[in-house]
Amino acid sequence: MSYVFFPGCSLDSTARGYRLSTEAVARALGLDLPELPDWTCCGSTAAHQSSSLLAVALPAQNLLAASGKTMAVACAACYSRLKVANHEIANAPATREWVAGVLGADYDGSTPVQHLLEIIRDEVGLDEIGKRVRAPLTGLRVACYYGCLLVRPPDVVRFDDPENPMSLDQVVAATGAEPVEWPYKTECCGASHSITKVAIVERLSHDILAMARDAGADCIVTACPLCQLNLDLRQKDIEAHFGERLGLPVLFFTQLLGLALGLKPSALGLDSLIVDPLPMLAKRGLAPRPGARPVVAAKARK
Amino acid sequence: MTTAAAPHVGSAPLIQEIETASGALLALCFQCQKCTSGCPIAATTDIKPHELIRLVQLGERREVLSSRMIWECTSCQTCRTRCPHDVDLPAMIDALRRLSRDAGKVTPDTAVPVFNDIFLGAVRRLGRVHELGLMAAFKLRTGSFFQDAGKLPAMLRKGKLALRPTLVRGRARRARTFRRVDGIEGGKR
Repeated sequence: MSYVFFPGCSLDSTARGYRLSTEAVARALGLDLPELPDWTCCGSTAAHQSSSLLAVALPAQNLLAASGKTMAVACAACYSRLKVANHEIANAPATREWVAGVLGADYDGSTPVQHLLEIIRDEVGLDEIGKRVRAPLTGLRVACYYGCLLVRPPDVVRFDDPENPMSLDQVVAATGAEPVEWPYKTECCGASHSITKVAIVERLSHDILAMARDAGADCIVTACPLCQLNLDLRQKDIEAHFGERLGLPVLFFTQLLGLALGLKPSALGLDSLIVDPLPMLAKRGLAPRPGARPVVAAKARK
Repeated sequence: MTTAAAPHVGSAPLIQEIETASGALLALCFQCQKCTSGCPIAATTDIKPHELIRLVQLGERREVLSSRMIWECTSCQTCRTRCPHDVDLPAMIDALRRLSRDAGKVTPDTAVPVFNDIFLGAVRRLGRVHELGLMAAFKLRTGSFFQDAGKLPAMLRKGKLALRPTLVRGRARRARTFRRVDGIEGGKR
């Protein structure tokens, strides 16, 4: 399949580690992911709360530019907006007409949209990942956190079970790690209230982190930049606010996969995580391979 | 059904107005409360999802449009996913948010509309969201300078905040897209 990559705005800043690890893992797995030239923001929550037309027109502009290819999407929120736009344009002739009027070109809603997780599980395949693992993550207990928009609404995204999804668990299991069973896979982290009402994010993210800890997880793995940011960046404040120790590194699934493929932590952007995952990896006897530049050394040098 | 809609409002009952704007079939709700059971903010906000639908059915315009709930909803889609009648609550809430702004009824307790305007303004000018610029603009507009200021050094050190926005071509085309949307929707934003 021929892909064109849609990184989304976060991958240039707060989710820099997601971009680095996606590019490194794609190279290692032989996936060609050329970036869509001059892509624009999907509009995110701000667009669908403000204008039903803009919320479809912004993704449609990108989907039109990607015609003939499958759009490979990293961010769960972009993925959702692109899928919803396709769904609405394909199912509502009036919407298609409005959007054509706005864009000055007709788009029929047919550019396929896939999340990276879907591509890695289904196009690369679990067997192939297993064969390429150089440093199995044996003994590492992982809480696979899907969040909202990767699986909901199910009639639009049509990807995984909305209540107990398993795709991420399967990819994590292929690295040799052990996905824990836990009930908060698809609970909401509070999303963009990270900026507008932090108390909501602190409460919801606390519940997710505490549940992962209580399920015996060493770390959390996610496929959404905003989930990662809320659980990682706010973790210290959450610990202070609730008077609890959490200490859970929150990795992008591509970072965990990259470690298992034997890639260096620096190539995977592990140093951009707020809760340092290296002590946890060392505790499990999974210190990155010899020759890799440890993140702690980079810190000490500063 | 007759409603208690305020006299200055047009002739359409609220439920009809929201159903038309959102495509959600609100008359189908039979108050099973499954939406509320799974809602992440139901416990802390002012109106629960099943109550919100009921208030829309009853035409309680003022209470609904000035609620905190419509802005505190995280758009997580759990309610819609679990509703036995496929009522699209998130679409209903998006329509209520737009109506709330148009009617000037937004609760002073939310900064979400300000955030949305800054966000979409950035997309219009730059094509993408530059997170550092977005945060700075939001803090200037809301006066919340010190919230999270302590996180800046670590975020900068860890390369989490690009200092400059990426240049994206097509500014004229983007401006045209926004202008046409404004034209169609009456330039309400």
